[in-house]
Amino acid sequence: MIEEILIFGMVQGSLLALLAIGFSLVYGVGGILNLSHGAFYLITIYIIYWTIPIVGFWPAVAIGLVAVAGIAAVTYFGLLKPLQESHIGIVLVTFALAFFFEQFVKFFGDPKTHYIVPFVPGSVTFLGVTFPAQLIALVVGSLVLVSAVTLFINKSKIGKSIRAVSQDFEAAQLVGINTDMILMTTLVISALLVGAAAVLYAPGNFIAPRIGWRYLLLAFSVTIFGGMGSTTGSIFGAFIMGYATTITDFLISPTFSVIIPIVVILVMLLVRPQGLLGKKELW
Amino acid sequence: MMNFEFDLQSYTSRFKAWAQTFRGGITLVCLAGLMLFPLTGNEYLTQVLVTAMILAIFAASWDLLAGFAGQVSFGHAAFFGISGYFTAAMVKFAGMHWLVSVFVGAGWAVVFSLLIGIPCLRLKGPYLALGTLAFSLILWNLFLTGTWLGGTEGISGLPSTGSIFVAFYIIAAFMIGSLVLMRAIVDSRLGTILKSIRDDETCADASGIDTTVYKLIAFMISGFFAGISGALFVLDTTAVNPAVYQTLYSFYGIIMAAIGGMATIYGAIIGAFLFVILSELLRPLAAAALLIFATLLILIVRFAEEGVMNPFLDRVHDLWDMIRRR
Repeated sequence: MIEEILIFGMVQGSLLALLAIGFSLVYGVGGILNLSHGAFYLITIYIIYWTIPIVGFWPAVAIGLVAVAGIAAVTYFGLLKPLQESHIGIVLVTFALAFFFEQFVKFFGDPKTHYIVPFVPGSVTFLGVTFPAQLIALVVGSLVLVSAVTLFINKSKIGKSIRAVSQDFEAAQLVGINTDMILMTTLVISALLVGAAAVLYAPGNFIAPRIGWRYLLLAFSVTIFGGMGSTTGSIFGAFIMGYATTITDFLISPTFSVIIPIVVILVMLLVRPQGLLGKKELW
Repeated sequence: MMNFEFDLQSYTSRFKAWAQTFRGGITLVCLAGLMLFPLTGNEYLTQVLVTAMILAIFAASWDLLAGFAGQVSFGHAAFFGISGYFTAAMVKFAGMHWLVSVFVGAGWAVVFSLLIGIPCLRLKGPYLALGTLAFSLILWNLFLTGTWLGGTEGISGLPSTGSIFVAFYIIAAFMIGSLVLMRAIVDSRLGTILKSIRDDETCADASGIDTTVYKLIAFMISGFFAGISGALFVLDTTAVNPAVYQTLYSFYGIIMAAIGGMATIYGAIIGAFLFVILSELLRPLAAAALLIFATLLILIVRFAEEGVMNPFLDRVHDLWDMIRRR
C-alpha cells in the first residue's frame, strides 16, 4: 500500500507539475488567465493521434509540438494582445477557444474515446509494485523538463526578461524589452510544456474530446494551491496534490478523489489565498 | 391605500411615456408578436420559443453578473443543474407543487452560490472564474460517476402541463417577470454600486463600498435567476440528467449574452432567440453547429464587444428619424 502510494503519487505529481508550471507562468508574467490551457493538451494529443498512421510516432510528436507552439503564438497575437485592456475579454476569449478546440476535435475526428499505444512498452516491477514502463518516461521527462524550464527562467537572458516583465510591465518596456515577444514566448513555453505532458501521459490512457477540461481543472487547482504566478510554488503544489489524490484514491475511494481539486481550491482560498508561495497582494 | 394608488398612477404614466419612445414601442410590438405566436397553433415552433425564453433568463442572469458586476462565472451551468435536480427530485419524490419547487430549487442555487462565492469573492482577481468552472466540472463528474439521484440516467418522467401552449404563457410570464426584475435591480442604487465595482474595484473600496458583500449579492441574485431558468428547463423537458452540468450550458449562456450585447439584460432575449433559431437552422449540420458557435463567440468577443442589439437598434432608430423628417 505505502509503496503504491509513493510511486503513483510521484507519477501524479510529475504530471501535475508539467501541467501547472506553464499555466502559472503565463498568469504570473502577463496576468493572462489562459482557460485554453487544457485545450492545448487536447489538440496536441489529437494531432499526434491523427498523424501517427501517416508518419509514425516520433515525427508525429514533433508535428504535434510544433503545431501547438504555433497555435499558442497565433493565439497570442490574434486574440490576447488585442484584448489586453479588457480582463473579461481575455477570459471569455480563452474560454471560447477551449470550447472551439473541443468542438474542432469532435467535428474533424469523432466524439468517441481512443487509445494510443504507449511508446515505452512493457511493465516494470519496482518495490513490489508493477506498473507500465511508460510512467517512468513520464516521471523522468517531467523532471528533465521542469528543471530545464526553471534553469531557463533563472539563468538565460530571455528568462531574465520574463522575470522583469512579471515584476513590472511598464518598467520592462522602458528598458527596451519587447514585452509582446516575451509574453508570446511565455505562452509558447507553456503550450510546449502542456504538449509534453500530453506526449508523456496520454499514450497508454484513453483520449476523448472532453478531456481538455479535466487537465485545465488540475492545472489551476495546483496553481491556486501553489500560488498564482510562482513556479516553485507550482512544483511543490503539484507533488503535494499528486500525493493527496493518490492517498484518497487508495484509502478512501476514486470517486471521492474527483472532488479533491475543488476542496483544495476552496480551503486554500479561505485559509491562505495567496497560495503556498505566492505574493501577498490580493486583498 | 392612497399611497399605493398614487404610485400606481405614476407607474402607469411612466409606462405610457416609455411605450411612446422608440425602444419602448419596438419592445411592446415584439412582445405582442411573441404573445400572439401560439395562436398559429404550430407546436414545434412554440416549443422552440419556450426553450429560447428559458435560456433568455439564464443568459440574463449571467449578464447581470458579468456585465454589471464584472465577475465572470464559467460555471453557471452548476446553478442551472442544481436547481433543476432539486426541482425534479421534489416534484417526483416529494410530490410538491411545481411552482413551490421552482423557488425551492432556485433557493438551493443561492445556497451553493454562497458556498462558492464566499471564498472566491473575498479576493480581487480571476478567482471566481476559476472557482465556478471547477465547481461545475466537478459536479458533472460527481453525477456521472455517482449513483445518487438516478446516476447517469438522471430523473425522468416528471408530470408535464399537458399543453405546450399553457406552458408557453407560464414561461413567458416567468421570463418577463425575471427580466424586468433584473433590469430594475441594475437600474437601482445596487446596480450603480455594482457598476462602480466593475469599473474600478480599488476605487470602489476606497469610497467605502464593501466590495465583497456587493459582489456576493450580485452573485446570489445571478445564481437565483439561473436557478429559476434551470428549474423551468427541467419542468419543460420533464427530465434531468448529469449533462446539465456540462460546460456546454455555461457556454450557451455566455454566447447568448454576448450576441445580444453585454451589460444590457434585455440583450439576453435577443441573444437567446437568435441563438435558438440559429441552432434550429444549423441542425442539419449537427456536429458543425457548435464549432460555428464557438467561432462566433471568439469573433464577437474579439471584434464586436457591444453585441448586435444596441448597434442594430441605433441604426434602425436613425433610419426611423430620417423617414419621419421627410
